[in-house]
Amino acid sequence: MSDRNSDVGGIPIEEVVVEAQEALRDRSQTRVPDKNWVKVLDHFKREWQIYAMLLPTLIWFVVFLYKPMYGLQIAFKDYSIFRGVAGSPWIGWEHFETLFTNDQFLRAVRNTIYISALNLLFGFPAPIILALMFNEVMHATYKRTAQTIVYLPHFISSVIIAGIVITAFSPSAGIVNTFISWLGFEPIYFLTQPEWFRPIFVGTGIWQEAGFGSIVFLAAIAGVNPSLYESAVVDGANRWQMMWKITIPSILPTILIMLIIRIGNVMEVSFELVILLYQPSTYETADVVNTWVYRQGLQSGQYDLAAAAGLFNAVVAFVLVMTANTLSRRFSRTSLW
Amino acid sequence: MRKLSLAAALLAGSAITTPAFAEGHLQIVDEPLELTIQMNHRAYPIYEEDWPVEQAARALTNIHLKDVTVGANMRTDSENTGNTEALNLMLASGTIPDIVGSSRIKDFVNQYGPEGAFYPLNDLIDEHAPNIKAFYAERPDIAASVKAADGQMYYIPYLPDGKYGRAYWIRTDWLDALGLDMPETVDEYEAVLRAFKTQDPNGNGEADEVPFFARQWPELIRLVTLWDGRAHGSDTYHDFYVDDGQITHGYIGEGYREGMKNLARWYADGLIDAEIFTRGSSARDFLLSENLGGATHDWFASTGGYNSLASEIEGFEFKAMVPPASVSGKQIEEHRRILVKPDGWAIGHTNEHPVETIKYFDFWFTEEGRRLANFGVEGMHYDMVDGKPIFKQEFLDAGPVNRSLYQIGAQLQGRGYFQDYDYEVQWTNEIALEGIELYEQGDYLIPDFLGVSFNADEQRIYDKHWGSVRDYMLERQQAWILGSADIEEEWDDYLAQLDSLGLQDVLEVMQSAYERQYGN
Repeated sequence: MSDRNSDVGGIPIEEVVVEAQEALRDRSQTRVPDKNWVKVLDHFKREWQIYAMLLPTLIWFVVFLYKPMYGLQIAFKDYSIFRGVAGSPWIGWEHFETLFTNDQFLRAVRNTIYISALNLLFGFPAPIILALMFNEVMHATYKRTAQTIVYLPHFISSVIIAGIVITAFSPSAGIVNTFISWLGFEPIYFLTQPEWFRPIFVGTGIWQEAGFGSIVFLAAIAGVNPSLYESAVVDGANRWQMMWKITIPSILPTILIMLIIRIGNVMEVSFELVILLYQPSTYETADVVNTWVYRQGLQSGQYDLAAAAGLFNAVVAFVLVMTANTLSRRFSRTSLW
Repeated sequence: MRKLSLAAALLAGSAITTPAFAEGHLQIVDEPLELTIQMNHRAYPIYEEDWPVEQAARALTNIHLKDVTVGANMRTDSENTGNTEALNLMLASGTIPDIVGSSRIKDFVNQYGPEGAFYPLNDLIDEHAPNIKAFYAERPDIAASVKAADGQMYYIPYLPDGKYGRAYWIRTDWLDALGLDMPETVDEYEAVLRAFKTQDPNGNGEADEVPFFARQWPELIRLVTLWDGRAHGSDTYHDFYVDDGQITHGYIGEGYREGMKNLARWYADGLIDAEIFTRGSSARDFLLSENLGGATHDWFASTGGYNSLASEIEGFEFKAMVPPASVSGKQIEEHRRILVKPDGWAIGHTNEHPVETIKYFDFWFTEEGRRLANFGVEGMHYDMVDGKPIFKQEFLDAGPVNRSLYQIGAQLQGRGYFQDYDYEVQWTNEIALEGIELYEQGDYLIPDFLGVSFNADEQRIYDKHWGSVRDYMLERQQAWILGSADIEEEWDDYLAQLDSLGLQDVLEVMQSAYERQYGN
């Protein structure tokens, strides 16, 4: 390892040096505070294009994320659409009490976490493995065809995906059961059996998203310095060793960032697919927070209760992201912020 | 150009309609009055000012409706959440139009009406709507059912006509092929379904027949009536029912227990479609056209239509049968066309012309108005023959009649009107009419539960418990049918669990609301 590659907290040493110089310069400037606003004005004059480019995103955040936060208060109100957010009476924690005294809600929370854990365990590594495998494929046409095939399910609507799954697992005409009875076993009515719901759901998710998810890892792999591989070849490393010693360590920051983002979405099981695939007979394992909220809250117009459940989801996700980010920063020096 | 000819036809049409009366006797205002309207109708989610029916109504009443619909929603899922969503969106937008018409409007107006979003209609009807008033005087049960918890009416409902909805259907050619008689009791029914399964009525050498199937799986549960149980108290699935003045639920009755036990046995024996819970709405289409389905419980008109399959499947004959007698000998058809739908229209609180508006609503309950709402425009879509409106042949030939009617602005469920079943008889196929005749002779229908309106406290208790109770009921229901649990073993625990989930509280608020609403 040469000096070029040594780094501080994942950042190449040159950048650290530049940053330190800038910091010093900044500090020297703060000694004359009365001229600060001139500097700021100057800065904006010079760089206004960059700020203009930032503006649409900021507006989007304000309109679609910050303004709606005002409405979060209905989680603590007896909300009536007619009276409006401001006009509805406060009722304190009642909605949360309703949620946490309801066994089915608690079951939905457990199911959500369980399904998310399975998704993380099996669904998260899938695109990485796929990307590594694509990286090893040498035949260009074969590689491109295979990539197109695995990307495709991502672009199909969940309704169609559910239709395909229901048909594939049908006890009379489905390909899975045809195969099972061909082997001499009894057909299984998969979609009404609670114990089969999670494997089918997680499997469907992997089939639908692994291909598309691999794109970001392929991009990361493409960014690995080719000279590393060249020197490894000179040193006599085989492809397996190169994958373990070069590719994976190089894309580890990407993997960790993706993992943190993924953990933030733990409470967001893709509920439209659950709704399309579940049955009362599989509620036991399939009912997640969002489907519960949909059945209890939105179908009967209980927006206040739904908002309370949503707020709970957000708090859990926030805690998880903070934890994951802190752990990642501490142990690998890679983090979202 | 098209509009011009339309207007011309209209003029001709109204010229034919009116001579019996003084010119303009239906006119509500001297100067044309414009009112805004939001319309979310189940099959046709927007209001169109060009509809021939609307133009005719405008010419007759001088009231012009202007479309301001927000959030028109094409979604027609089983719960009709699309309509509720559109209504909520309208309310959230802050302006309520003069008239709001929608499917699934009842709960909405009965919640927000008392808060002040809609005009209370009792006095308005009393003073300015003689036709609506006369209708309610004749049907006090319907009048009671549309009221909110405060005793006021907030909407004028769409009132379906005709009694019959769903019926038992069976492949009569299969019966003939196997030399079986039409089943008359539950035991015979079981024997026939068993024969369908085992004796290869479709003659392809495989036991691939599906004896009983259903497009909506709750129709299977309806079979518990064959063991004197009850399933759905109205045409809303899993609804409550009234037993001798007491509100109760079918899923806690002894008959239900007995019925479910037997249905589980039927399922295990293959008499019921193995995929009943997932096959969904295409079940009837697929199983009948593949010559696999033997019996179902479904709507008269649409199911009768499948007999056109006879051109592809030799001898195909799918006919309505009378309900098999239950174990105690009762013959019951649990489903009927509901007397009053939760659909219709209401007057927004910012409307400056409530009197004119209620008069306009009343117009649709006059003889001409009702005919207009049901059949379209005279001379364009129907002619009067011997004092009865008869659809023109070219209108009947123009495709599905229901859809054609929606497209001219007739039969709109977002409008409060009284349906005339005659409109449907004219294009219902022979076999369905034959079936209706069969049911007409037997008097198998039982009264529907018309629903209750809660006050705020009752609503809170209902909202808090009913969802969990219903989920648990359905979970166990499917588990028992599928055989993953045994109803006999679980029954006492099941009842205890329902109570702990709050079923008794729900029944209590239902009862108090029911007594307030229908009590004298």
